[in-house]
Amino acid sequence: MNTLWLLTKKNLRLLIRAKGSALIVVFAPLLIILILGLSFNNSAKYGLNIGVYSPNFNEDATSFIGKLQEAEFKIVKYNQSTSCIEDVKLGFLHTCISLPDSFKIEGNTQKEITFYIDPSKINLVWMIQQTIEQKMNLKSQEVSQNIAQNMIGAMSDANSKVSSGKDKLGQIKDRSSSAVSSTDAAKSNLAKIDLALSYPQYDTSITTTFGTHLKEKLNSSNSKIIAARTALNNANISGAERNTINGLLTQAGTDITAASTSLTSGNNSYTAIVNLVADLNHDLISAQEKLTNASVQISASTKDLEAVKSSPNEGVKALDEVKSTLDQVNSNLNAQKITDAKVVSSPFVTKIEKVAPENTYLNYMFPALIILVIMFSSLLLGTTLVMMERNSPAFTRNYFLPIKKITFILSTYITTLILILIQVVIILLISLIFITDIWTTLIPLTIILFFAASVFTFLGMILGYVFSSEETAILASISLGSLLLFVSGVILPLESVSPVLRDITSFNPFVLCEKLVREVVIFNSSVSSLWVDLGLVFCYALILFLIILIIESFMHQHLVNKIFHHHHKQREADKLEKKEV
Amino acid sequence: MEFIQLKGVGKSFNNVKVLQGVNVVIEEGDVFGIIGQSGSGKTTLLNMVSGFLEPSEGEVVYFSRVDHTPKNLNKNFSKIKKHIGFTPQHTSFYPKLTVHENLIHFGKMYCLDAKTLETNAQSLLEFTGLKGQENKLAEHLSGGMKKRLDISCSLMHKPKLLILDEPTADLDPITQEEIIDLIRDVNKQGVTVVIASHHLDSLERICNKLAIVHQGKVRGYGQMETVLQPYMKDNFTFNIRVGKDKDRLVNLIRRLPDTKIVDQGHQLAIISKNPELAMVALMRIIKQENLYLHDLDLHKPSLREVLTKIAQQEQ
Repeated sequence: MNTLWLLTKKNLRLLIRAKGSALIVVFAPLLIILILGLSFNNSAKYGLNIGVYSPNFNEDATSFIGKLQEAEFKIVKYNQSTSCIEDVKLGFLHTCISLPDSFKIEGNTQKEITFYIDPSKINLVWMIQQTIEQKMNLKSQEVSQNIAQNMIGAMSDANSKVSSGKDKLGQIKDRSSSAVSSTDAAKSNLAKIDLALSYPQYDTSITTTFGTHLKEKLNSSNSKIIAARTALNNANISGAERNTINGLLTQAGTDITAASTSLTSGNNSYTAIVNLVADLNHDLISAQEKLTNASVQISASTKDLEAVKSSPNEGVKALDEVKSTLDQVNSNLNAQKITDAKVVSSPFVTKIEKVAPENTYLNYMFPALIILVIMFSSLLLGTTLVMMERNSPAFTRNYFLPIKKITFILSTYITTLILILIQVVIILLISLIFITDIWTTLIPLTIILFFAASVFTFLGMILGYVFSSEETAILASISLGSLLLFVSGVILPLESVSPVLRDITSFNPFVLCEKLVREVVIFNSSVSSLWVDLGLVFCYALILFLIILIIESFMHQHLVNKIFHHHHKQREADKLEKKEV
Repeated sequence: MEFIQLKGVGKSFNNVKVLQGVNVVIEEGDVFGIIGQSGSGKTTLLNMVSGFLEPSEGEVVYFSRVDHTPKNLNKNFSKIKKHIGFTPQHTSFYPKLTVHENLIHFGKMYCLDAKTLETNAQSLLEFTGLKGQENKLAEHLSGGMKKRLDISCSLMHKPKLLILDEPTADLDPITQEEIIDLIRDVNKQGVTVVIASHHLDSLERICNKLAIVHQGKVRGYGQMETVLQPYMKDNFTFNIRVGKDKDRLVNLIRRLPDTKIVDQGHQLAIISKNPELAMVALMRIIKQENLYLHDLDLHKPSLREVLTKIAQQEQ
């Protein structure tokens, strides 16, 4: 156990004393974690570049854009959807949103909003989609709320109008009830009219009697008339006239006598008739009273009936009003053109359009994978070859060779390129199984991969020159590669880091090269359209090469140190030997 | 004829002077030895001669063999270095290449044509005793063979100056001898040789000129005899082995003037400032006392002793 501890202690001591190794072994992972931690220590989605195409940037579109801007999205407006889509392909935009003419929902048809996304950004596409859809849902919710609000308003209005109609119907009901009661009252009043007349048995014999009496009277009159005749006979008148007058007198005398008798005799007399008339008069008075009463009752009933008559009129009027209200309610409800629950709940439908052809994940991942392979291979090969040369026993001798420094650098560079070329050829051949159309992009792809390999080889070579131990240099290469990978957006989306840091990481050679390969392989872009990024990568390669030349010029000092270091070690060994002797 | 001349050369590292005031001339055909203790500035001086280090003061001059015009070595190093073959202390070839491949590789670096390459390679294989080993990986060679290969690599382009740093370090005595013989043979072929070594005995054998470096200064420089001369007088040592009469002899020798005696157990070492007088006196004593003398060895001061003496003087 003690030995184990001693050995461990020795290892740690050696590690710490080799400053470069200690720095890289201990601090490189910490530094990477620190950088990544600081970079990605948030849940924000900063700086998503969003292109918005709208036929007319009306109020709704502006409001929607405003909502996106609130979320720190960078909005670029487009008047043509093709330009917007093209910029997604070129990687300037994360997504392009094609908005409808208007956000107003006027029927049972959902408005379509199209998102154009780059599916090759596998780790980002879902985040973009979710984020934008979230914002879209807010807008959709807002519109949905408006629709629901309108519907609720119409319903509320209908409710108030129906309430009002209900009141009126109540009134109609009250009036009808009142009419019923009035009718009952009239009926009662009419029932109260006593139309029953006492009807006594008048003595019809009176009339017979009265006739007889009159007959007797007439007979008497007749006798008198006879007497008149006698008198007449005595009168000096012609016989004929006498006879006529006698005859008439005889007749009149007879009738008058009889009538006089009837008028004066008892029950069958005129008195009786008077009595009878009196009785009739009495009965008539009674009937008159009753009719007066009936008249009053009828008058009262007339009033009631008048009242009853007015109630249906008001009822009709009220019913007209209710009808009108209901018509209005009906009209309002008919005015609500959105009746589909789907439209009400989701007025907007989002459509995702991919700007790249539909491919497998391997196709999308291919640019990152090939650059990843090239990056690590170039870094490690560059570092290893430089370290091999530096640590080679022949290094000192090389100094005395009549060879220019640049020749050594270029030989390392070309060696790396040859090895990378072999790797790339193998990868491309394997890729052909899955990505059959890669041949079409072979020339631009080769150019990009050449530049990428150059940049990473030079970076690896610089590390090889900077560090003194091979292990440390390789570890530094791996660390650098990991760092470049982590801040490339391949693993963690760069959109999660702050805009400033993102601007810096956009100059990450891995990001640039991966973008170039993606443009060429996925979007079939021409080299001429990528000249800016390609030029930047070329500049990187050139600058790194110049740095190597500068470092190489300092290497002479390193060689001196190395030689003196050897001598120092030798002296130490000699001293130790002497002590032992 | 001068080949390389160091004129008042000095070198400082981090304001520490490791070498100063060096005036040395290396002539064509010389086997020039640089000796000194560890840290004395020996390697610095060698690196100055090789052009590897640029002096902080003074200059290193290279004399062209064509017109014998002096040229600053460092300023014209890119042109001059093709005339220099350098063999560092540690192996300086590609271990994963075969012996032949190494020779051809370094030959090609000097733009030799294919025929010359092969001729030189075969000649060197023969010359350095590597024949039969040419297809072996360099890393599989023995220590001595590796050193031979190292020297061969330095000679592939047929340099005019061969600089060797500790060529016999880490080698067994026999191999050391072989390497020294090889260097001598190289020199015989007209190559000027500059050697820095700890193995002073080896240097003593082959060097015709010498520079003794101590504490950054050249304490002795010139032909071997010239360098040793100042240290001859007080460094003659008689190693005497006497049998049972040792104590008596010690008492008699102690009476001699300017003479020290060191009892080394099995023998006596007599150190005298005047070796001639000491010799006569010693012979007389032996004769008078009739002592039996097993062995007498007159020892000339070696480079090691000279170096030790110089170190002691400085202290």
